[in-house]
Amino acid sequence: MEALQGRSTDIHTEYVRSWKERGGKVLGYACVATPVEIIEAAGILPYRIKAFGHPDTELGDSYLARFNCRFCRSCLQLGLDGTYDFLDGLIETNGCDHLRGMFENWQYAKKYEFFHYLKVPHFVRQDSMEYFTEELSLLKLAVEEHFGVEITDDALREAVGTMNQVQARLKDLYALREEERPRLSGAETLRVICTGSSMRAADFLSLLDRLVEEKSRDPGMEARARLLLLGSATDEVGLVAEIEDQGGLVVADALCYGSRSFWGREGESLEEPLRYLAEKYLGNLFCPRMFMEYERRRDFILDRARQARVDGAIITYNKFCDLHGVEAVSLRSDLEKNGIPVLVLEKDYGSPADAGRIRTRVQAFLERIGGRTAERVEATR
Amino acid sequence: MTVRQFKPYEGLINRVYEIFSIVDKLPERMSDEEVEGVTRLLPSDLQKTMRAFLVPRLRKSSLVFLKAIKAWLDGAHQAKREGKKVILVPFNFPPEIVYCFENAWPITSEVLSTLGVAALEGQGERYWDYAMGLGLPDFACSANMIEVGSCLTESDFAPDAVINDCFASCDINSKTHEFLARYLDIPLLFLEKTVDNTERGIRQYYRYFEALIRDLEEFLEEELDEERMREVIGYANQASELYWELWDLHRFSPCPVPNAFSLMTYGVRYTMWGTEDGVRVMRSMVETSKERLERGEYPAEEEVARSLWTYTSYYFDLAGLFNWMEENGITHLGDGLDLFFPRVIDTGSRESMLEGMAEITRNMPMTRWMGAPSMSMHWLDDLAWWARELSADCCIYCGHHSCKQTWSAVTIVRNELMKRAGIPTLVLQGDSWIRRMTPIETLQELIQEFVDNVVRRGRRRAARAR
Repeated sequence: MEALQGRSTDIHTEYVRSWKERGGKVLGYACVATPVEIIEAAGILPYRIKAFGHPDTELGDSYLARFNCRFCRSCLQLGLDGTYDFLDGLIETNGCDHLRGMFENWQYAKKYEFFHYLKVPHFVRQDSMEYFTEELSLLKLAVEEHFGVEITDDALREAVGTMNQVQARLKDLYALREEERPRLSGAETLRVICTGSSMRAADFLSLLDRLVEEKSRDPGMEARARLLLLGSATDEVGLVAEIEDQGGLVVADALCYGSRSFWGREGESLEEPLRYLAEKYLGNLFCPRMFMEYERRRDFILDRARQARVDGAIITYNKFCDLHGVEAVSLRSDLEKNGIPVLVLEKDYGSPADAGRIRTRVQAFLERIGGRTAERVEATR
Repeated sequence: MTVRQFKPYEGLINRVYEIFSIVDKLPERMSDEEVEGVTRLLPSDLQKTMRAFLVPRLRKSSLVFLKAIKAWLDGAHQAKREGKKVILVPFNFPPEIVYCFENAWPITSEVLSTLGVAALEGQGERYWDYAMGLGLPDFACSANMIEVGSCLTESDFAPDAVINDCFASCDINSKTHEFLARYLDIPLLFLEKTVDNTERGIRQYYRYFEALIRDLEEFLEEELDEERMREVIGYANQASELYWELWDLHRFSPCPVPNAFSLMTYGVRYTMWGTEDGVRVMRSMVETSKERLERGEYPAEEEVARSLWTYTSYYFDLAGLFNWMEENGITHLGDGLDLFFPRVIDTGSRESMLEGMAEITRNMPMTRWMGAPSMSMHWLDDLAWWARELSADCCIYCGHHSCKQTWSAVTIVRNELMKRAGIPTLVLQGDSWIRRMTPIETLQELIQEFVDNVVRRGRRRAARAR
């Protein structure tokens, strides 16, 4: 765990440095709709772009506006100030309007030689699945041509196999977190996933194996309240740690830097690896960018809440996040209908000015659900 | 039992409909005294709007336009009475597609919000506030949220289904409509724009379009009738030809086309394109502009600036924006919502008509730009072309705060417009439909400063260089 924690909130990690020193290539992507197996199969390191709550945005603000999500402005900042200069290219996806703006301005300013736009449909149907499968073949072709590699079906199958093992291990880790005495905190979990999103899958898997084994022996911890954390792009380990410092323990999440990045991800048949990946990714995109799937997302979230026996849920989203801002209204209502108290926390990503306000609101929420927690603890005695 | 906070007569559509009954009673020609008499009877917010529409240079066409809007609202009510389906569409979905069906009538979210803002005392604020009260975010788009807020009260005239073709070009619009459909428990039909202008992307878009038509046929229990399509598209084709005639009239300096015709043009486009009324309003605007050209009329002594509004304008004070500008010599050549590239569709067969409509839908404002592979480049290309065509000397980006997708791309567009066409862009900030955010006086001041210090100086420099 120490090994993981040490690497967790650096952008240009030791792992990446070492990979680059050995001549390895790194491709940046931001959205969970990106099938990293294709990048893995090309022998390239897939790197999920993060900002870890980076508070400065002055360079990003010269392109994006204050009405754009600050997570995207922070990532753009790091792209423009040179922090991300180790990337050998970018893969854009149409995750949301802000993300598209981030990529477009980043590329406008930096002009990567490799810049590929992976177009992800917003609904799942036979015709959209066929289109997405073709999109994946175009991505594969673009990577092959630019980096001079061949991505064989066997290599793809192998990458799928490794990634599936990673995802299974992450579920094991989540199970440890959901126990009556959770064996790792929400902040630790977020660090683990963020770390893994900057590593080759095989290396992450061996770390995870060790971590699961180590954590299985951990006596676990008690909490004032068990929480579910859900909402928009949140790689802010500090925010989760802050919530947990108040006494709430995040025992489950539905975050795109959390469970939504790996849960329920299976395709149909590996006979055609790209079709498999299309099904795996488009078919399991638990994100409000997808249409006509609200009930599926709601059920996923309620399942997570029930499984982890939470006392309350915090829906958090970045100011100006259209997708989660609207979705939060329905989710709040549905969670409350199911007896789960909710705190809706709209925040300015990475802004130190928001810290005090967030602390107060979380404290008040924990006070509100305190009675429930006491009842639950009593019932389990 | 749920206690409704609103009475039916308090709903936006219902109130607008009642208010518009006044329009039916107005004669087709009105004297200044009659206008003065009528406007004095109206509540203050509506009075301001009516005064804007009924200034002498606009009056004739405004009356045709307002009566046509009333007929459009009548059509929705009549459709409801007859058991037809009223379908809520966004502005970037061509209403003529709905008119091609016997059993359906389109109502347009953004137009209804605009009508509420223009016609109702207190504008659209109470509906916006209602939506905020439900927890919807304050960075939502008022263009939709005002009308949607009224629908959410469940006391207003309600649609039977929603069509959304905004995803891939506007997240907030598409999520708002999806939310509404779920809240009201009515069907949501959808059309995705492939953010892909290759042959493959366009082919895929046509597949999606055909799927939408099948969904509509199924929902309405009606197969598209070729003769009806031909009739509707025939009217749309006539309106398209008149659009380009009006476009050409914009080339003259001073511009004979009144600023407010920009608003009225897309008012027609987004409600009644494909109807006889639509043709009538377009024709009236062309005639008025021609007459003004012949008489050499312009409301100011001199045309000091020819401005393009790169996306939307402001709609909470029509006199304060459109009329004020031209009275100060600033021509509003149109905004992004005018740039819908109408084309004459081949009415030879069902297939040619469907393909023509798909192509028109693919090129509607917002869809064409924000749904392109690059959010900035297609938009920029169109603006640069438009500026050249109509000899614009400046651009104004209104900075509607919820347009995050255009805010994402405006820096590139502003920089490149300057580089490619030498045209400066003023970037404003405000809410186009809510007056609370930036008052019109502040906007006027910023526009005036820009024109005086940037545009006029640029003109003088250009004249000296010649």
